Amino acid sequence: MANFNIDAKQNMTYDAIVIGSGISGGWAAKELCEKGLKTLVLERGRMVEHVKDYPTMNLDPWDMELRGGLTPELQKKHYKGGRSGFIGETNEHFHANDLENPYTEVKPFMWVRAHQMGGRSILWGKQCYRWSDLDFEANAKDGHGVDWPIRYRDIEPWYTYVEKFAGISGDPLGLPHLPDSHFLPPMELNCVEKHIKSRIEKDYPGRHLIIGRVAHLTVPLNGRGKCQYRNRCDRGCPYGAYFSSNAVTLPAANATGNLTIRPFSIVQSIIYDEEKGKASGVRIIDAETNEVMEYYARIIFCNASALSSTQILLNSTSNRFPNGLGNDSGELGHNLMDHTYRIGAMGVVEGFEDQYYKGRRPNGIYIPRYVNLDEKTKSDKFVRGFGFQGGGGRSGWGAGANLEDFGGDFKDSLMKPGPWEFFITGFAECLPYHENKVYLNKDVLDKWGQPTLSIDCEWKENEKALNKQIRQDAKEMLERAGLKDIVDFDNQHEPGFGIHEMGTARMGRDPKTSVLNGTNQVHACKNVFVTDGACMTSSSCVNPSLTYMALTARAANHAVSELKKLNL
Amino acid sequence: MNRRNALRKTALLAGSAVAAPSLFSLLQSCKKQSRLEWTPVFLSEDQARFVSAFVDTLLPRTDTPGALDVKTDIFLDLVFAKTYDAKAQENVVNEIKKFNEECKQRHGKVFADLNMEDRKAVFKSKEAESPKFNPKVWGTAVGEQKPVGFYRSLKSMALWGYFSSEEIGMKHLNYDPVPGEYRGCVPLSEIGNTWSL
Repeated sequence: MANFNIDAKQNMTYDAIVIGSGISGGWAAKELCEKGLKTLVLERGRMVEHVKDYPTMNLDPWDMELRGGLTPELQKKHYKGGRSGFIGETNEHFHANDLENPYTEVKPFMWVRAHQMGGRSILWGKQCYRWSDLDFEANAKDGHGVDWPIRYRDIEPWYTYVEKFAGISGDPLGLPHLPDSHFLPPMELNCVEKHIKSRIEKDYPGRHLIIGRVAHLTVPLNGRGKCQYRNRCDRGCPYGAYFSSNAVTLPAANATGNLTIRPFSIVQSIIYDEEKGKASGVRIIDAETNEVMEYYARIIFCNASALSSTQILLNSTSNRFPNGLGNDSGELGHNLMDHTYRIGAMGVVEGFEDQYYKGRRPNGIYIPRYVNLDEKTKSDKFVRGFGFQGGGGRSGWGAGANLEDFGGDFKDSLMKPGPWEFFITGFAECLPYHENKVYLNKDVLDKWGQPTLSIDCEWKENEKALNKQIRQDAKEMLERAGLKDIVDFDNQHEPGFGIHEMGTARMGRDPKTSVLNGTNQVHACKNVFVTDGACMTSSSCVNPSLTYMALTARAANHAVSELKKLNL
Repeated sequence: MNRRNALRKTALLAGSAVAAPSLFSLLQSCKKQSRLEWTPVFLSEDQARFVSAFVDTLLPRTDTPGALDVKTDIFLDLVFAKTYDAKAQENVVNEIKKFNEECKQRHGKVFADLNMEDRKAVFKSKEAESPKFNPKVWGTAVGEQKPVGFYRSLKSMALWGYFSSEEIGMKHLNYDPVPGEYRGCVPLSEIGNTWSL
């Protein structure tokens, strides 16, 4: 590194640095900027400006030469993430290049990454559910992992705070274990979903089928337009109707005049000042020029995504932290979690032939957790629980492939909608196991010569028992709801398929067994905050992003009050 | 590293939160080609004749356009050319050859030279013997998908090529690019045909 003169160092100095611009990084940037901190957001990927950089947002299939297909070159570029089934011509530019960014699967693990401004907030599923004390108390009660240093009351006001700004649509239900959010009007169920809802709720007291709770505007909010029901969300939304950093938090951060974004900035490590006993800044590699540079700040928010934030901490070694910044406990990189994926059932619903729907709803149904809530619902086969997502609709021309028919009448019959189908697929909570881990691999380097991650993670007995129950319950519910041609399934997907990576730098009460404290600060280096999926102490069975938003806003608030008290 | 360089890298965000969808001028390679001038990109002339005959038997012209009218065969050739790797391309060539050999054995001619009655007989036996696709959830099959064989896989691609064409998608199916609302229960009589998107 060149020696900086004092002037130059000043030019590289900010009040706060945020690493990453995805869901949690965007929130960190907004909160810190709005509280008056000059904030530098470092994004390893390219700039993606809202609307301007959504090249496929309005394309119909016939507008694309391959109508959504990918060339062999692009298939290779996504040879890992492509397993998800989510990558095509309309969105591949928002998925990371797997060839330039290798990782090693010690056991099978699909890691979906998005290296650009906005990260995976452009691509996410947008389902938003609050956690409850059923989740925050789980580790303490059944002895898996360590106790969360927070409870629902600590995060509840922050859920409300982020929901009001992000815009969450949904239907209040009053369930204690799935608290209601501050809701915009819900989206509508279709007739078959309403029918199955009434059947399930009648047959199974205590089970509910509701419309998904989603980060979509059903009414305009803060200058953003409402959802137009095009269901082309993962191409970027021209109306700003779903929550993404690009459409929502980063413009708000920018409006303060305190935001600087530097794209193509790969954070190699956090710099630890041995004398002061805290972090002084970060070292980056310019992704385009390979130049190494340093930026300085009083506080650092690590929001690179669960595994990438941990990778940066592991790569940040010093005399004080020879095994990675904040790794006194030896838990850094450990206790990796995800949700199990694609286990459930589907079937055909008879009748309703004269009914259809209008619009392409970017949302489905949700069946909240109903097991292990109390003594009455306790299972003797597993701890924790699961919820279901799914939905109903009428089959289209695609169903023609399986019909034993061809010719003119066959063709014309496919112009009309086919039978109604309905499916549910479960998401099970994963326990935090010390041996499910990531660690630095210095034998496999990325395009910039940096060590990569090895991921060693698998489902264990409890997850398998949950999955077995999911499959059984799904089939039984659809049978009792009167569906026909039911197919139940368990695709045995490896971890990573849920795209809900959590843990590896967990929060906890005791520095001996955790990496972060109750306000997301590294125990022994309090001006470094980690508020993305890495911080999670357990995984619940609900989608985690809303909780990242709330934890981030809460931690940013704490960071600024500590700065004011001169504690950082 | 100097400051100017750092500034050059420092981009500010466009603050506009709502924008009207822009219009795109689009390149559509298929559009420019007329039937008569069709030169396959990947297929040989004989293989192209097979694909044309296949899609025409599957989706012939009625009151609505047929697969040949909307150039489904031209599109499939492009898909083979641009989305298949060498191994998959080789497989297509072998499968067409095999299909034609079976036709020769049973009816004395390659598929494209058969009359409609014989073509239908071939399709009927293929339908009966070909495994089915597993249902899909969120874009991928559930359970363990057995190979469906060349017939059903080409049939599925032909359906895709036909129903995702501009002519069918905009004029024959129900085209609504920006619905603006979601209504969960609407009488089918108010809507008519399947939504195209």
